[in-house]
Amino acid sequence: MTVTPSFPAGDIPPSEPPLTEEDTARSRDRSRVHRARGHSRRWLLLWLLAGPGILAMLGENDGPSMIAYAADGAQYGLGFFVPLIPVLFAMAFICQEMCMRVGAVTHRGYGGLVLQRYGRVWGWFGAGDLTLTNLVTLVAEFVSIRVGLAYFHLSSGVAVALGLVLVVFTLSGGRYWRWERIVLGLALFNGLFLLAAILVRPHAGAVVSSVDFMSFPGGSFNTLLLLLASTVGATVTPWMIFFQQSASADKGMTARDIKHGRYDTAAGAALAAIFGVGALIAGAALLTHHGPGIQGFTGAGFPEALTHVAGSAVGTVFALGLIEAGAVAILTICASTAYAAGECAGVSRSFNRSPRNAAVFYAANIGVALLAAVVILIPGAPLLSIALNANVLATVLLPVSLVFMVMLANDTALMGPWANKRSTNAIGITVIAFVGLCGAAYGIDSFLQVTHLIGP
Amino acid sequence: MNDAHHSSSPQDRDLQPPERFKDKQVHHLERDQLVAETSRPVPRAALSARTAAGLWALRVFAVLVSLMVIYTFIAQLH
Repeated sequence: MTVTPSFPAGDIPPSEPPLTEEDTARSRDRSRVHRARGHSRRWLLLWLLAGPGILAMLGENDGPSMIAYAADGAQYGLGFFVPLIPVLFAMAFICQEMCMRVGAVTHRGYGGLVLQRYGRVWGWFGAGDLTLTNLVTLVAEFVSIRVGLAYFHLSSGVAVALGLVLVVFTLSGGRYWRWERIVLGLALFNGLFLLAAILVRPHAGAVVSSVDFMSFPGGSFNTLLLLLASTVGATVTPWMIFFQQSASADKGMTARDIKHGRYDTAAGAALAAIFGVGALIAGAALLTHHGPGIQGFTGAGFPEALTHVAGSAVGTVFALGLIEAGAVAILTICASTAYAAGECAGVSRSFNRSPRNAAVFYAANIGVALLAAVVILIPGAPLLSIALNANVLATVLLPVSLVFMVMLANDTALMGPWANKRSTNAIGITVIAFVGLCGAAYGIDSFLQVTHLIGP
Repeated sequence: MNDAHHSSSPQDRDLQPPERFKDKQVHHLERDQLVAETSRPVPRAALSARTAAGLWALRVFAVLVSLMVIYTFIAQLH
């Protein structure tokens, strides 16, 4: 990072700062990166530096997102959405590349940097947005795990236990590397949605010929806005911004790693788009089989419907995919909350610290999962409505986080030669405007309809 | 959007680029990666009045639309 930290008047920075357990663990990880780079072992270097980008992107291919893609396919077919999903992930790449770059150059997380650079008010606003959207999204993740487990006749209690055990298990070990590799291993099972798409045996020619970006889905204007807002919310969310910047810093990435960070983020975006289209194609198998009537968040939802139409193998694969998508999202979303809590409280926030030395980080990580789990177990809680609105709320609150992200990436005092170029700014501002318009249009239109100020 | 770096603090401006971008390795970490360094706050950026007003307008707008979404969500429950 290029800005010198502020020292109290008269203090002289020590020549050799003391090393913490966090430094030692990070130094060990970095030594492998240095060796791989020194010996020009490209694939090993790529393997060592992969992680935050793939996790942010595949974490966002979460349960509600995959249910939303399947619902889009079941209700409207492939036409509009097959080209839309890659475009949205290209937008996500623009945002997430900035997060990675700022994290690698400054070695600081998003929440802490906003709080210190632009003031406590903006820092705490951002943390408040994140906590609200993360809580709502986590509830939706548990719901999607419940839908997947319901296919195997397992109850909500099992969904809650599975989510919480995974959070505690991945946290044990006190190493970022260990946490990242476990979650990466789990995240690759997002490919189950691609397998589901292959198993429904779509006719390749029919898929290609049905793709038409101009074939807007039918239905009311409000429905179209909801679809757009929830699909945008399924690709870029506030937690991704907090997560990727903080995880890049926690991993120990530096400005020298930016190229590999871009590969990592691009690979994540490509995989997420492919797997998202997979869920869409699987859902489209239900288009002529009462697809629009399927309730994705109740009972066994899409897995059960797919079993009736395409066979039990497809239903099983889709159900396992939903369990994986929900589980990985729980882990990454809890991590983003923990990073933000530690950064805003100004205390230790790293997987490389032991729970004793980073109590707030670990407590926030487990606490937010526990809180969402409690909501799931409340009898009669409006889980369906929460799950349906989670992505929309994230879309509405996202532009503020994105604006600060662009400001940080432009801050030459922080970023030096790695600050945004004009072209990146132009694309970034276009993305912010698009996301802002989608969320605001849906929010305002729905409100006016509910209050009967306009007709449906 | 770019006001933040146009209006960086005097402390930022006093730093000469060659000095600011020089990294020193401590073990396998860059010096400014160490916890001792990242624990120190970065200097506050001076936001121009226009930037601050724009940020507040966006914040108020986001809160209003969020309230609309939450109201709609509650109304649809009944």
